[in-house]
Amino acid sequence: MFDLSAHKTISLIQGQAEDMESEWTIEAQWPENGGSWSDTENEAGMDSDLLQAMAEEDEEINIFNEETFGMEPLPSTPPPNTDPKPLSPSTSPPSPPRQRPQYLPQYPARAAQWQRIRGPRWRGGLGRGQMFDDPAVMRIVEGRPSLMSVDSAIVDCGHAVYRNTSLDNVRAKTSISFGCRWRGFMFPPNRPCPSTPRPLTPKIMQLRFGADSPRPSPFYSPSTNRVYGDPVTQLHPQHKRLLSQKQHLKSQGSDPYCNLMTTKEKEWIIRLQMIQLQMNFRLASHLSSQRRTSQKLMHTSSGLSVFHIEGSLGQVAVSTCYSPRRAISAVNAELKDTRQQRLEILSKIEKLFIVLLEVEETERMKTPVSSEAEDAMLLEKIQRKVEHIYSELQHHDSLDSGTEFLPVLSVSKGKKLLARLLPFLKNDSAIKILHIIASNLPTVMSKDTEETLPVLYLPLRNVIGGLTFSQLIKVLRDLTSSESLSTLECLSLACQNKFGLTLLYALLSHGEKLLSSGVPLEPSIGDFETWTDIIFQVAGQLSQCSLVEPLLLPSNLLTLFCRYLDKRTVHQLKSNLE
Amino acid sequence: MNYVPGTASLIDDIDKKHLVLLRDGRTLIGYLRSIDQFANLVFHQTVERIHVGKKFGDIPRGIFIVRGENVVLLGEMDVDKPCDTILQQVSIEEILEEQRLQQQAKQETEKVKMQVLKDRGLSIPKADNLDEY
Repeated sequence: MFDLSAHKTISLIQGQAEDMESEWTIEAQWPENGGSWSDTENEAGMDSDLLQAMAEEDEEINIFNEETFGMEPLPSTPPPNTDPKPLSPSTSPPSPPRQRPQYLPQYPARAAQWQRIRGPRWRGGLGRGQMFDDPAVMRIVEGRPSLMSVDSAIVDCGHAVYRNTSLDNVRAKTSISFGCRWRGFMFPPNRPCPSTPRPLTPKIMQLRFGADSPRPSPFYSPSTNRVYGDPVTQLHPQHKRLLSQKQHLKSQGSDPYCNLMTTKEKEWIIRLQMIQLQMNFRLASHLSSQRRTSQKLMHTSSGLSVFHIEGSLGQVAVSTCYSPRRAISAVNAELKDTRQQRLEILSKIEKLFIVLLEVEETERMKTPVSSEAEDAMLLEKIQRKVEHIYSELQHHDSLDSGTEFLPVLSVSKGKKLLARLLPFLKNDSAIKILHIIASNLPTVMSKDTEETLPVLYLPLRNVIGGLTFSQLIKVLRDLTSSESLSTLECLSLACQNKFGLTLLYALLSHGEKLLSSGVPLEPSIGDFETWTDIIFQVAGQLSQCSLVEPLLLPSNLLTLFCRYLDKRTVHQLKSNLE
Repeated sequence: MNYVPGTASLIDDIDKKHLVLLRDGRTLIGYLRSIDQFANLVFHQTVERIHVGKKFGDIPRGIFIVRGENVVLLGEMDVDKPCDTILQQVSIEEILEEQRLQQQAKQETEKVKMQVLKDRGLSIPKADNLDEY
């Protein structure tokens, strides 16, 4: 590929040079021995005419090469005019070498001309040599060329051509020799220049450019007085052809440089890309299949061989061999249930809340203007929904009846729900809830981490306000009698909690109200004893332990205590309460 | 014609005018004449376009062979569409001068920044050195 591209690039340069309207064009001399090229692509699939033309060109190329480079290594002797191959005028056009002697004197003139042309044109530099150390720029800007102008190989090749004749200024030569090398510029082998390439033998060419590259004749430097003469006639036959082609095409208006890359070359690249694709595809699929199998292995193995030792914290599985932490942090089955339960309750509460909102909405619709029938209808609606909520909240998996609303009460939203529901409930239902709260007060209080219990206070107080004396006593009994705790402990716990204390106060206050109201109480047996008992116990508790600030301090409490206790204790209580 | 449907190939871009951005920040515009399996590119009638702000300047460069690994992006250009609708073409000297000023300003701000960082005890390596690490 390198060879073909270079070949074409050379023709491009020629065209380019012409485009730029310079006085000279470079003379690219790629040593080619057409016959030794392993260039099968061009030969296949061409008709005989083209083959004939190619063959002729090859002939010309051979001649040209021999003429140009010759077989002797001596640069100093002028090139022999006798060609090893006799030229038959019929087969090929007059070979350039014959014309060469004529051009020999012309070259220096041309060089001088070139230099002359360069001189005046570029004398009028802008003096910004530092900025324009780029000859491509300079060419446009007409700045002064500098020795450091190595940006364009074209310029320097021209330089080199000129300077080569004078055999001086090794340094300039060094910098450009590298760039120009591939174009086949000849360097005198006796140059003491470190970067001058060794004469490239065919073997070296093979190593450098690959097995399929052309094997040129050795790079021998032509003599210094060899002609790099008139470029047009001195052209390599292939270049001549391309040039004429281009000129012809240009007149036609189409892109004269198109199809420099032949179809064969394109197909070659496509073939390579396909191979690359295949490789990538295979690699990717291989990797993904590997991943899949490893995943499968992981999944199947973990399902079967989870090993749980009785009483241990964690469980052992294949996966835990690779990540031990997971074994320890294995979730306990019971805990999972609790979390699950909590979520269930929460979702239930959410749903019931919506119903509650509907209830409240319906309640608001009951205006004084509405008729009785409407009222009744709305009321009925409300009741239905309220009952629904109540039954839902009551529903509990466990059999013991005393813990019905507790799960709901453990969730703060549940408490809010109950608080808003209580006003709508029938008395029995409301009292039931009160009972539940009273009997489970320690549990309820301990679970109230967010301190939402106070929302329940007002509705409960309203409920308490409707209690009869017996009912009140019952509640008080519930409050003070718990399974695990003694009365004192219950009371002390209650006193430590805002809600508990306030609830207690509310109960006592109501009792006092009842007692002092003069309404016939209809007490049951033992009510009064319980009552007085509780009073004394409460008084004892209140005077001893530290009290929290209650939500509301009923005014008739002191009166209550006065009735039962001595003055001293009352005073103490008073000070404590405040 | 895409010889390999479902893939991207430079084959279809041959002989068309392209703009290529190189890793060193240069922008080249030219006709893509040849490629190879490494996406090395041969450009014909190449022009290096320097952009500074809304101005640009073209430096004709001839033929360029770009090594594939140095290409950041490559895109086809519309030959007919004029480029001076928003951008203003200026002479080479002008654009180079603008570029120089831009570089200068950039260097100055960079210098100030480095000094400030140094005062605070920080040192950030410059991006162009990162390739070495």
